[in-house]
Amino acid sequence: MGHQMAQQISTALRQSIQRIILVLVKFLPGVLAFLFAIIIFALIGWGLAVLVRRLLIALKFDERVTSNEGPGASGILTEWSPRNSPTLLASRVVFWICVLAGIAVGLSAIDASYSADERYSIFLLPYVAHVTGAILILLIGTLVARFLARSVLIGAVNAQLQYARFLSLGIKWLVLVLAAAMALDHLQIGGTVLELAFGILFGGIVLTLSLAIGFGSRDLVSRSIEKTMDKPTPTRPTEIPTRPDTDTPPRLRHF
Amino acid sequence: MSSTPLIADAPQPPPPAPAPARNAELLICLPALEPDALPAALHAISSALPSESVLVASAAPPENPADFPSLDIIPYTSARSDVGWILAAGDYASAAQLAIEHNAQAVILLGGDTAALSTPSAFDPTLLRNLVDCIRTKNIDLVLPRFAVGPNDALFNSALLYPLSRALFGADIHFPLPIDAAISARLAQRLVSTTQRLITLHQGSALLWPVAEAAAAGFSVREVSAGDAAPPTPPPPATQADFNALFTSIAGSLFADIETKSSFWQRARSISASPVQASAPPPIAELAASPEIHSMIETFRLAQDNLQEIWSLVLPPQSRLALKKLSLLSPDSFTMEPDLWARIVYDFTLAFHLRTLNRNHLLGAMTPLYLAWVASYLRFVADDPTRAKHAIELTASAFETEKSYIVSRWRWPDRFNP
Repeated sequence: MGHQMAQQISTALRQSIQRIILVLVKFLPGVLAFLFAIIIFALIGWGLAVLVRRLLIALKFDERVTSNEGPGASGILTEWSPRNSPTLLASRVVFWICVLAGIAVGLSAIDASYSADERYSIFLLPYVAHVTGAILILLIGTLVARFLARSVLIGAVNAQLQYARFLSLGIKWLVLVLAAAMALDHLQIGGTVLELAFGILFGGIVLTLSLAIGFGSRDLVSRSIEKTMDKPTPTRPTEIPTRPDTDTPPRLRHF
Repeated sequence: MSSTPLIADAPQPPPPAPAPARNAELLICLPALEPDALPAALHAISSALPSESVLVASAAPPENPADFPSLDIIPYTSARSDVGWILAAGDYASAAQLAIEHNAQAVILLGGDTAALSTPSAFDPTLLRNLVDCIRTKNIDLVLPRFAVGPNDALFNSALLYPLSRALFGADIHFPLPIDAAISARLAQRLVSTTQRLITLHQGSALLWPVAEAAAAGFSVREVSAGDAAPPTPPPPATQADFNALFTSIAGSLFADIETKSSFWQRARSISASPVQASAPPPIAELAASPEIHSMIETFRLAQDNLQEIWSLVLPPQSRLALKKLSLLSPDSFTMEPDLWARIVYDFTLAFHLRTLNRNHLLGAMTPLYLAWVASYLRFVADDPTRAKHAIELTASAFETEKSYIVSRWRWPDRFNP
């Protein structure tokens, strides 16, 4: 009885190990093909990137782009390029396109190494695409948040708004929260719970700000408006004495 | 041969009909004046230059050209600069093109500010004569008028344009962004090639820096006194946003020009000016500050509290420490040293070149520092024209002294930012 039981356990274990080894044997070539595809395409990408870079340098691409952007222009392409070189940007784009193509080919190889009735690759492929999309959303969201936060901060400081940093941080986190919610939605994580939570959070922030401006910050807002109307109010302990003889300030001409 | 004025990108009237080319020694270009003002302007020109063969290029032709027999009047397309009242690249391009077509030996461009030129007695015959004499008898390539300004006027010019132009391009020209200008035939030829790219890109309304252009080409530059005439100025910016836009536009254009000519100014020598002795500001009792000064100091302090993250990308630690100390000073001792201001401007010029951050952000972050300089300057000057002259000279000298700083940083940007 005990001997039979031991035999059954041993058989079950053997079969289980065989199944696992079989799965690994099926899976490993796919993984190796995946890595091989990435390495090959990365090498092709590197070669193409070098070729593109040399070609663009020969064509003086950077100078042409800079001259087309004109003096004093912000130069969006140059600004967003690594080391301000559109040539470098183009070569890196070529390289990463090749790497992405290698990943796609590798995933396809993994997919081919499975039989049609297995669900791993069917689940994996679209999810990888979703993850890539979510990462892109987060990346773009972070860049937009930083840009908007700086714009608001500088504009608010130049407009003499005392709560410039608060405004800037508010904008930054609103955009970041929005980007995170979009990324999670893209990954299909959370579902309606996420939408509901984001709606409540966003609506809550807007409502809080409205109430704060409407009730709590009346004095703050009125002081700000007074300042923009050229009616300065003392805020620092050490103040410059105002001209005693006249209320009319000297006429300043900056330009 | 027909005259084909270059077209700027600003809204323009339909191009004038081709006119037969006539040779003249002197070409005077007028912007679009009010219909009533044009005859007065033409009378002033003919009386100022009675014995000259003058070709007048006018954006709007007079109703009766026969009233001015001594003047040849031809059509001309003037541009409108991005900032409104200053000569634009399109103005120089059109004028230079006409000068070449008509073999003019000298060209005088009068005013981007059409409103000022349309007022009665806007034309000063003496200034016109001085411009012509200087360019002819002294063989100068670029002659600009030097206007009389009050101690509280042209602050941006005193803070940035004049000191940078003098230190980097060795040109002691007090108004390097001119409203009127006289140029020689050879400078006109150079300007045609310089402005060609801008015109092709439909950027005729962009600013052009003729002093830097002439200095980089090795041409001579001189200024002549405009007497007591005040320079035409734009209406004061209505809002802070307008001021920021104007500041960004002019400073951005200047920094871009400095970037373009970096190979020239790194090896060019500054003019040899005698060292200026700093004088102490007058006692605070004389310095009852206006609300405007108060407001500027407040903006600077607010920026000191909030813009550290951005300034740390641009300014080295020494400058940031100096600014921190400045922000802690009481208003009665609020003084930004000229050498600190010069280094700050040079650091921002370098950051503009390196694109350390978005250029609009960069120039926006510079505005509070400029306002701090203005507050310090006004406190020092105290409405006294003599002290204003001294302060401007001090600032310009500091820019010359610190020129080695910008040259070093331009060549090795990371050395000062460990």
